[in-house]
Amino acid sequence: MGKKRGNPLPLLPPEVEEDEIEVSDEDLQFVKENRYYAGFLSKLDTKSITKHVVRLADGKKEDALESFYEKRKKKAFIENNEGNALQLDPVDALPVKTLDGKLYYRTSSVDVTKPQTGLQEDNTKTNDQNVDNDENKIKPTKAERREKLKKIKKIAKKQVEEENKIDEVQRDLKSEVLEKVKQELSAEELFLQKKGKIAEIGMGLLADPENNIASLKELVQTCNDTDHNVAKLGLLSLLALFKDIIPGYRIRLPTDKELQMKVSKEVKKMRDYESMLLNSYKAYLQKLVAFGKQPFFQQVAVRCICNLLEAVPHFNYRENLLAETVKNTSSSDDVIRKLSCSAIKSLFMNEGKHGGEATVEAVQLIADHVKIHNCQLHPDCIEVFLALSFDEDLAKSTSENGKEKVKPKKKGKHTPAVPNQLAKDDKKLSKKELAAKTRVEVNTDFKAVSFAPDASERKKLQTQTLAAVFETYFRILKQSIESTAGIKIGSGTKLRPLLIPCLKGLGKFSHLISVDFMGDLLNKLKRLASGRNLSTENCRTVSERIQCCIVAFKVMRNNLDSLIIDLQEFFIHLYNLLLECKPNREDEGELLAEALKTMLCEGRQHDMQRAAAFIKRLATFSLCYGPAEAMAALVTMKHLLQKNSKCRNLLENDGGGGSLSCSVAKYHPDATDPNLSGALSSVLWELSLLSKHYHPAVSAMASSIANMGTGHNQMFLSIISPGQAFSEYSIARESFKLSIKPPASICKRKKVMDSQQRKKVLESSADPHWNDQEHEDLVRKRFSDHFKVFRNILENERLRRELNLTMSSIHLYEEYRREKKKKKRRCLDKV
Amino acid sequence: MRPLDEKETTTVFEKLFKFTGNNLKHIVERPSSEGPEQDPGRYCFRLQKNRVFYVSESLVKRATNINREKLISLGTCIGKFTKGGSFHLTVQCLDLLAAHARHKIWLKPTSEMSFLYGNHVLKSGLGRITENINANDGVVIYSMSDLPLGFGIAAKSTQDCRKLDPNGIVVLHQADIGEYLRMEDDL
Repeated sequence: MGKKRGNPLPLLPPEVEEDEIEVSDEDLQFVKENRYYAGFLSKLDTKSITKHVVRLADGKKEDALESFYEKRKKKAFIENNEGNALQLDPVDALPVKTLDGKLYYRTSSVDVTKPQTGLQEDNTKTNDQNVDNDENKIKPTKAERREKLKKIKKIAKKQVEEENKIDEVQRDLKSEVLEKVKQELSAEELFLQKKGKIAEIGMGLLADPENNIASLKELVQTCNDTDHNVAKLGLLSLLALFKDIIPGYRIRLPTDKELQMKVSKEVKKMRDYESMLLNSYKAYLQKLVAFGKQPFFQQVAVRCICNLLEAVPHFNYRENLLAETVKNTSSSDDVIRKLSCSAIKSLFMNEGKHGGEATVEAVQLIADHVKIHNCQLHPDCIEVFLALSFDEDLAKSTSENGKEKVKPKKKGKHTPAVPNQLAKDDKKLSKKELAAKTRVEVNTDFKAVSFAPDASERKKLQTQTLAAVFETYFRILKQSIESTAGIKIGSGTKLRPLLIPCLKGLGKFSHLISVDFMGDLLNKLKRLASGRNLSTENCRTVSERIQCCIVAFKVMRNNLDSLIIDLQEFFIHLYNLLLECKPNREDEGELLAEALKTMLCEGRQHDMQRAAAFIKRLATFSLCYGPAEAMAALVTMKHLLQKNSKCRNLLENDGGGGSLSCSVAKYHPDATDPNLSGALSSVLWELSLLSKHYHPAVSAMASSIANMGTGHNQMFLSIISPGQAFSEYSIARESFKLSIKPPASICKRKKVMDSQQRKKVLESSADPHWNDQEHEDLVRKRFSDHFKVFRNILENERLRRELNLTMSSIHLYEEYRREKKKKKRRCLDKV
Repeated sequence: MRPLDEKETTTVFEKLFKFTGNNLKHIVERPSSEGPEQDPGRYCFRLQKNRVFYVSESLVKRATNINREKLISLGTCIGKFTKGGSFHLTVQCLDLLAAHARHKIWLKPTSEMSFLYGNHVLKSGLGRITENINANDGVVIYSMSDLPLGFGIAAKSTQDCRKLDPNGIVVLHQADIGEYLRMEDDL
């Protein structure tokens, strides 16, 4: 408001300190309320003022003058800024420089014309900004302003009196505005104050929880604060507190009977303390759950819940914590989901903290969750199962033999024959009692004290956990079959979000699946792996199907007690999947390598026909895919050829396979059944192509396989598995592409060859082992030479062709002329 | 020698279907490799004196030259009709079945001999078994080195085999290659 221009004037005459000026309260009040009358100051003549200043300066010493000027300018500057910031719209805060070099600060002349309401808004807005900016700055400016206004008041008295009437109307509004300002100012202080209070209570509680337990309630109350930040702080500090003061046991509130009994002072104190702690913990949890639904608090609440679950899974109200966390495992918010999942995983891994009970509860909750949502959840919520660990020794040591352990588990799951299971456990217990009757009491006492459940207890828990896990897995499998059968073509993109983690889990726990359910499981897997009777829309992906095959084999392998079962159909599926596989997808190559390993390399023996068919197809496969996949395939081929000596007929040059070819005399590359493809009557011509592969490892492998047939029968067993080969060379492939560098192991051997090859002409361009500058130049030169020669030849040809053309046309022309002459002659003759 | 009538065809095919399943199609549609002609055609079934033969068409043409009473055998004999009208597969069809078998069982070397003397296959002799065999399915029996030894009828499904005690019968014997020696005259 242009006060700045007026500033120098009052400063001049008496050199009085600002503090010393006495301002009556009345004056102050008046000026405060009528600040806007200071508007006239903008009309002040600056020139006259400067003159005034100059005059004053004349009488002073030079030094003093300078410093005086500096001071004054600085002050004026600061006031300018502040004044503007205070009372101008932020948009107008910049001064305007006119042509003659004067700065015009846009004053809020608008204010005069503006209706009062608008002005008020403006005011609060600017005030808001100030509060945010800095508290310290505001205070001095206010004082100054008041003081200035007071002086201004004297001059403006008359005008003020005239407008007194309007003033009174405005007064109320002004005071309101000021109150608001005050509030804003105090908010921050209040925040700090509350923060301090929270810290104080927290420290007190930590120092002596038993005596200060009452203040816990107070702290819980802070979470109800209207200020969101305070509430957040309250939640978090409560979390830290509870983590520290919650005891290592579960609190059981005393019954009425117990309450009536006389107890010592200490016990009473303890009871009070515990009940208080429990009550406030309950209140806190309720608050957390409530906050979990508000978007602003969601993350904080979830973090608190997860932390509590991790830290104190043994304590009361664990069920509520679990329920909340499990619900969050499939949240659409990434952060929340990750937090919840990691909390549950740590729950699974640190079973010592809660004795395994929480695991059972969590798994059952997840199972219910999956059931309710009909398997349409985020994969993360199933992946947590992978963190589970089952103690097999435990189960074996307690039960009479290893087999029995698995069976009752499964019974409990599918057909709820729980009584049966319980009966068994009871029997076991009674046996134990008979064996060591005297120790029972001691044992129970010890159990209560040591908090370590005995083996049979743990086994029971483990059984329940397993039951819930497999129930979930089977549900998912069933659902994925149904959904693909086209019953419901629901929400599009991902129909089976849980299938992959489910298959992974089945693979991991395959050794625990009972024999009774293996048939059903295999049937389902077979249907999943086939993927034939499906509409194109929701076809299972290749990787899913490969995974199915792998799981089937793992299940089978881990459960063969005496019977070796030949999974023919899965072989057929794999045989066909080899063609569909597109290894440009990242995980597929790896999966395929794993499938080759589990299905073809680890199996004991194969049909000759089938082995031959796979060998043939793998050879074809390795021709058209990258070196990593090719290596995996070749390693598998080698395995197969070593095991099935009859299949080495494939390596012979004469086709037809002789008597071995059985009924199918001709090779059908497109047959769907490996048994009927007649691969034995074909020849592995792919190997000779592969031995010229650009990748040295592949070519070496191919030629070593090709020599198997001719070499003596004593084979060294190849040590690496297809999976290893794949991973080794897939990494190698990366470096191969980028820097054109061979994998280190081959480098040495290759170098020798390189130096020989270097002198050979164009071959080096096909060899990937040049990487230094020198080589590149060499090749470039050769290329350019080659190109020149090539161009010369082309040019030559072109010229020759032209020449021919012209020659022929000349010939033609000559003939034509000759003809003409003849005709003329004839004509002449006739004439 | 005559083609099978409808009823006979169904009984023969039903029997073969037990062993080969959907591969029966391949047996019927299989192009022939026997016979002197350039295009020997397919294989077909012919009945001659209660025996059913699996013959290439070109051979059939030539066989018509021979008197019915004098014709003893042509092509591959796969089985015979009993007086009661039921059809039995004989061991000669083993090669055909083995090439198209759906269910297979591999025998341990120790129990091979017992099977070749005409005994049933016990669980203890089981080396390997394909999945999904149901009771009463036809099963082809191999040695561990993939040599077909004979065939029979499954007494138990694959699942039941797991729980079976070692002396339980898994496959009921029907024919084995030992018959070539034991019943040389009958064949």
